[in-house]
Amino acid sequence: MSLAPAPQMPGLPAPAARRRGIGRARLDPASLVWIGAAAILAFLVLAPVLRLTAASFQSADTGGFTVANYLAAYASERRLVALGTSLLYAVAVTAVAIGFAVPIAWAIARTDMPLKGVIRATILGAFITPPYLGAIGWILLAGPNAGWINLAWMRLTGAQAGIVNVYTFGGLVFVTALYAFPYVFVFTTDALDRVSTEMEEAANILGARPLRTIFRITLPLVLPAILGGAIVVFLDTVALFGTPAIIALPARINIATLQLWQFFEFPVRAEEAAAYAVPLIAVTVAMFALQRLILGRKGYVALTGKGGGRQLVQLGALRWAALAFCLLICAFSVFLPFAALAQAAFSKAWGLGFSLGNLTLDNFRYLFAEASNRQTILNTFSYAAGTACLSVGLALIVAYVVSRRLVRGGAILTALCMVPLVIPGIVLAIGFYAVYAPPPLALYGTAAILILGYSTRFLPIAYVNCLAGLRALNPEMEEAVRILGGSQLRAVGSVVVPLLKKGLVGSWLLVFIPATRELSTAIFLVTAKTRVVSTMILDLSENGNFELLAALGFFLLGVTVLIVLAGYRLLGRDFMLRRS
Amino acid sequence: MNVEKVTGSLIAALLLAAIGASGALAQADQDKQLYEAAKKEGQVSWYSGILTQQICDEVGQAFTAKYPGIQVSAIKTTSQVAFQRLLQDLKAGAVQSDVFTSTDIGHLIYLKSKGELVHFVPPAEKGMVKALQNVDPDGDFHTSWVGLAALLYNTKKVSAAEAPKDWPDLTDPKWKDQIAFGSPNYSGMVGVWTVAMEDRYGWDYFKKLNQLDPLIGRSIDDAVTVLNSGEREVAMGNPASALRSAAKGNPIAVNYPTSGTLMVISPSAVIKGSKHPNAAKLFMEFLADKEYSQILAKNLEQPLRADVPPPAGAKSLADIKLFAPTPQQIVKQLPPNKEKWRDTFGM
Repeated sequence: MSLAPAPQMPGLPAPAARRRGIGRARLDPASLVWIGAAAILAFLVLAPVLRLTAASFQSADTGGFTVANYLAAYASERRLVALGTSLLYAVAVTAVAIGFAVPIAWAIARTDMPLKGVIRATILGAFITPPYLGAIGWILLAGPNAGWINLAWMRLTGAQAGIVNVYTFGGLVFVTALYAFPYVFVFTTDALDRVSTEMEEAANILGARPLRTIFRITLPLVLPAILGGAIVVFLDTVALFGTPAIIALPARINIATLQLWQFFEFPVRAEEAAAYAVPLIAVTVAMFALQRLILGRKGYVALTGKGGGRQLVQLGALRWAALAFCLLICAFSVFLPFAALAQAAFSKAWGLGFSLGNLTLDNFRYLFAEASNRQTILNTFSYAAGTACLSVGLALIVAYVVSRRLVRGGAILTALCMVPLVIPGIVLAIGFYAVYAPPPLALYGTAAILILGYSTRFLPIAYVNCLAGLRALNPEMEEAVRILGGSQLRAVGSVVVPLLKKGLVGSWLLVFIPATRELSTAIFLVTAKTRVVSTMILDLSENGNFELLAALGFFLLGVTVLIVLAGYRLLGRDFMLRRS
Repeated sequence: MNVEKVTGSLIAALLLAAIGASGALAQADQDKQLYEAAKKEGQVSWYSGILTQQICDEVGQAFTAKYPGIQVSAIKTTSQVAFQRLLQDLKAGAVQSDVFTSTDIGHLIYLKSKGELVHFVPPAEKGMVKALQNVDPDGDFHTSWVGLAALLYNTKKVSAAEAPKDWPDLTDPKWKDQIAFGSPNYSGMVGVWTVAMEDRYGWDYFKKLNQLDPLIGRSIDDAVTVLNSGEREVAMGNPASALRSAAKGNPIAVNYPTSGTLMVISPSAVIKGSKHPNAAKLFMEFLADKEYSQILAKNLEQPLRADVPPPAGAKSLADIKLFAPTPQQIVKQLPPNKEKWRDTFGM
């Protein structure tokens, strides 16, 4: 039996002890690479964050030390309530996102449900959709006065009022979760793909009912991945601005990022904004403490030197029920809102509604007719690709150092890696700009400044994913390389990377996709030649050019789905995981 | 020329008359000198909080066409971001932008109080609509864009006869659940609107509006989206975005309020310590000149000059009854108004 959680294996030392053994005994020159990478990373993350923390203690006028910013930032009851509401909002979104993602992930990785490819591609489509655009789609669908769903309901039943209202707390949570759940989905399917089904089969043979197998065996095995995804969703939601600006504000739900934005209206109080955001770092630390508590001392080593098989659960007629659930979520997140947006993207004037005379492809044509638009689109994808490579590379190195305990203070490195996600983009962006733009780096106006900023911002996502992957990987295979005389670099290059190939591609996509839609960092760092799609979307929305905006949304969706499908095809199936 | 400091006054008129034709010659000479100096600098960088990136680029290209040898690097962001970047640049002692334009006049007043602006009065400003001249009595910053706040409505749902004609008409109970506007906590334009409305009708105006359960968005332009979708029927909004949308055939129309359309001025200034001070001055001159106003009109924005006709469907600034609170009034009343807004609307 190769797949038992390590602590249950009799006669073997606890994995933690063994890992420490390798690290201490064989610190070879390659360690310098790790330590160097960790140092670069510390600089990338620490410099902006420290700058930010320092600003929170600085007087705006004199630059001297003060706690006045904190006092001013928290003086109003409204701001305190907003922080509380934000936490509640993030918890609710995380719960709903898990509810959407885990069943779909299980159905795709473990059952004979049909149309898996379509579902997978659609979910990645939901991921690429800028939450801003998805939220507008949902306003068109579920607006109380003119939402399609409400109009249809009133027409069908003759009722005077609609049945759904997007401008509520429930509506806000639902719409946010629709564009956040792909994080949990990618983490979970990746883990399920990696873990073989032998233990589940064993449980079945021993007479466990299917549900019991799921809850006692399958889910606990991938718990670190689910938690990792949940943490990303939680932190992402705490720092989210777009969806709340469109839904929470009209619904008059007061949350922290909406408060935060107000610091930047006249009179500008950037220092107070920093003070208001700094405690969110504590939230990140708390998240990881919680994760530790839940995972406890259990081991989750599921991938060892001996390959395991995959046996799909035969769902029978139930597979149609599973498909229905998946399609429903896909409809909510992509099909329905994009149908609503299609009315704008293919219209001359979207306010006129559907009619043949109103149909046009001009919006799409215009997107490509302008050289600057083409440049912007090209920039977006190349920066996102650069970001994904850089942050996954760094994350893998640091996650390896931490999981194999090559250096002391792994917890600090982890906290460092996670902090950028929770600090709202607009505040973090000021830190980036302050560090990267002036000399000695003087990166102002270059693509590098955007790639560095994005890489720092999305490092947490890559890191959580790499760490979850490495936790599931038994160090015995690396030990084998070392025993046979290979270097540590070789152990990583020839064993870890190939084994985690699929997971790494997953991480790459997890960074690539949000990087294509990242706005708050971008608006601070772009210049005339380095413009990106997200800033273009903002421009279009400020200009009231909704037709072009929707067309751009469609284009992004199409391109990303293609990239993702090509990626999966290129990679193929991981032979290590197949039953021979 | 000292004249610029005292424009509008009698002395100025007398002096101008006295200088006469020789003055005009001197002016042309000065322009040429400025152009030569600017050409040596070769470029000008513009942080713009106004228009869109595309229109800003168009302005830059027109400038280069008029003054060959000087490239424009225009960066359009929101005014808050442009201002934050500028502050960071000033802190780091590495000023990246030569010309800064913001929708928030408070930004310019702040920079002026810190001595960060270069005093320069573009001679072409004399050709602008009177109400737009001398926005800063000391001539440190100048109008580059005018945002208007007027009444908008969805023509599919509201007839022209029914549509609100003046500001108080919005508070008619028949618009319950049908009104939309932005928030002063997220939009400077909307902020100025609260100052103006409170001035005229007292804060009760907003209390009445709140009873009708308006849809409160963020920016002044959100109104166009919710009117088009049919979610709301009437709104306070920016005529330029409404007309742009209407020009495509969308069911939106503008009513310029009978008692006066609110005008919000977005000024520009040359930043002290920038790398291209002469090109910056030349660019300021360009923003006050005719070509720039023509570009504005072409993009369905309000031209700043009376000698450039307004876009189709819009009225010339010279023909609209305009009103605007003073910058001092805005700076003083806006912060407490945001607090009052939160108390009234709960956000």
